[in-house]
Amino acid sequence: MRRLAVVTLLIVAAIALASTAVRDAQAATVVVPPDPSTLDATQLVSNACSKCHGLNGVSTSPLFPILAGQVPGYIESELRLFRQRGRSDPHARAFMWGIARALTDEQIKGVARYFSSQPAVKGSESRNPALADKGKLLYENGTPERDIEACTVCHGHNGEGVNSQPRIAGQHRDYFVLEMVQFRSGLRENKVMQHVTEKLTDDEIAALVEYIATK
Amino acid sequence: MLVSMPAQAVPPFARQTGLACEACHTIPPELTPFGRRFKLNGYTLTTRPPLVSDIDEHKKNTVWLSDLPGLGILFQATYNHYDRAPPDSAVPGAKAQSENLEFPQQFSFIAAGAISDKVGGFLQMTYDQPSGTFGVDNTEIRYADHSQNNDWVWGVLFNNNPGNQDVWNSVAAYPTLDFSNQSLWSAGGAGGAALSSPFFEGLGGLTAGPTAYIWYKDSLYLGASIYHAAVSGSLTSTLDSTNLSVGGGTLEGWAPYWRAAYEHDWGYNSASIGISGMYSKFTPSLIAGQTLDPGYVNRYLDISYDWQYQYNGQHNTFSFLGRYTHENAEYDPGLVPTFYSNSTNHLDEWNVTGTYYYNRHYGALVNFVRTTGTADVALNGGTGSPGYQYEVLEVDYLPWFNIRFIMQYNIYNVVKNNQNPFFLLNATNPRASNNNTFVFGLWMDF
Repeated sequence: MRRLAVVTLLIVAAIALASTAVRDAQAATVVVPPDPSTLDATQLVSNACSKCHGLNGVSTSPLFPILAGQVPGYIESELRLFRQRGRSDPHARAFMWGIARALTDEQIKGVARYFSSQPAVKGSESRNPALADKGKLLYENGTPERDIEACTVCHGHNGEGVNSQPRIAGQHRDYFVLEMVQFRSGLRENKVMQHVTEKLTDDEIAALVEYIATK
Repeated sequence: MLVSMPAQAVPPFARQTGLACEACHTIPPELTPFGRRFKLNGYTLTTRPPLVSDIDEHKKNTVWLSDLPGLGILFQATYNHYDRAPPDSAVPGAKAQSENLEFPQQFSFIAAGAISDKVGGFLQMTYDQPSGTFGVDNTEIRYADHSQNNDWVWGVLFNNNPGNQDVWNSVAAYPTLDFSNQSLWSAGGAGGAALSSPFFEGLGGLTAGPTAYIWYKDSLYLGASIYHAAVSGSLTSTLDSTNLSVGGGTLEGWAPYWRAAYEHDWGYNSASIGISGMYSKFTPSLIAGQTLDPGYVNRYLDISYDWQYQYNGQHNTFSFLGRYTHENAEYDPGLVPTFYSNSTNHLDEWNVTGTYYYNRHYGALVNFVRTTGTADVALNGGTGSPGYQYEVLEVDYLPWFNIRFIMQYNIYNVVKNNQNPFFLLNATNPRASNNNTFVFGLWMDF
């Protein structure tokens, strides 16, 4: 078993040596100062954002939104809100208040550019076409008699987002529902979305999700 | 044996990152996928600007100091009620109490955080009320780096507890449980009885060594370590007439430890399987009254298979994790049959835990432990079996994420021979259930 000990020691030394070699090879081209305010967007994404949102903006867990292909103006405005603690839903407090607290305007723009340039996630065929059709009707026309505007006005005909209004196509279903419910309850502050969602029933939110998931 | 307090959640890391506990933990100390990546990347993620920072002509960092020291406190208090007063004396008829209140049972000072852009770690000092001692607990310094695309993470670390470098809570050195098994055996009232456990599970704080690891595509982990005895506690680096004590001894030379694990995450789910093992040579000093190192060497080979499933949803968190460990022990011929009846023994341990929490405020935990092994009369007394089995039932309330109240009942179905303090101290009619314990506990960190 002395041989086993020696072999293990050699493995430890080999990995340690390889790590150093790879690090030094990178050091010539990649500069990674540790001051977070000086990290460029790619490094920020690699070191921090990607741990929850994925390197290409496609998160694994529905706790975290998909950012790939998101409208850059929306990412910028939300990051600024996080930085000034102007958005106070539970996940904003738990995750983004801290992550965004030291970001510079330049970094915010860079991160927004990075994620918006990643290929967007395509929706999939609905398993409940009847519900999706109901959602489509609501999405495209709203319900004028209940003063519910069509979603297309702000989010585009295919949920692709308009100006700084967010892309919602391809988003995690659970994340989408959670945000709608939080707009409705006022937990996530947004006057326009609260005005729209407070008139929506749970069934209507489910229909909207079913439709937008096909986009 | 030094009692180790799991590092739980580490407030300095929250201060450093600005992230709430739930970013890294389902319920402390169990790590979320994000928490595992934070640890594997060397605890270096920070959102605080440095107070002191300098770079060289290549724009490489030469010094980086945070604007606040990473200090925190972990605190644990318990009230225990035993089904039968523990035999705290070998004198027949000696009065014993069936309750104790420890405030604190343990508390730790912890210093943790990024030391540079690639180096981080933690140092934990723990006061243990039952032993009345204050000493170095889990300690680790880690260097880590990663490829730009994050496919490869690699690191080197130094620590003093084999397995504590792991990121899955299914290994013995990084347990999920807070309070279980904290009653008779660790309270010092057990009259020398101790539950048999695989040898490598008892080396925390008594060894030190380096580890190198790689983490590939957020799924495959390979690590190799090698440990040497530290001059600490009862495990001394040399055996001489002043250090000899029953139950003490020293690791002989270097002991290799290895670990491989695979993780797959999907949706709210995360699952992992793994294997770890350690080969140790140990010179026991269990010959009371002997004044010279006899040079006896026992050999232990421990192999552990573990798994973890975790559901980390918006409101519900659920975990099912556990391990099976098999140990082969080979004893020095000079110690057989006086101290061991057999020249080789084996030990098998199952440890399975399920937890559920709602909104991270209300939760329950069930833990099942069963150990069996070779009967050895000289080692274990009585019929020789080292077997035991117990369950832990626990309910938790967390008014805040860093304050946790627990109620727990430990049910002992089997505690054989000298492991049962009631048997060891010749109590009348000793039964396993004599050890059943109700625990009310408080844990907090800040």
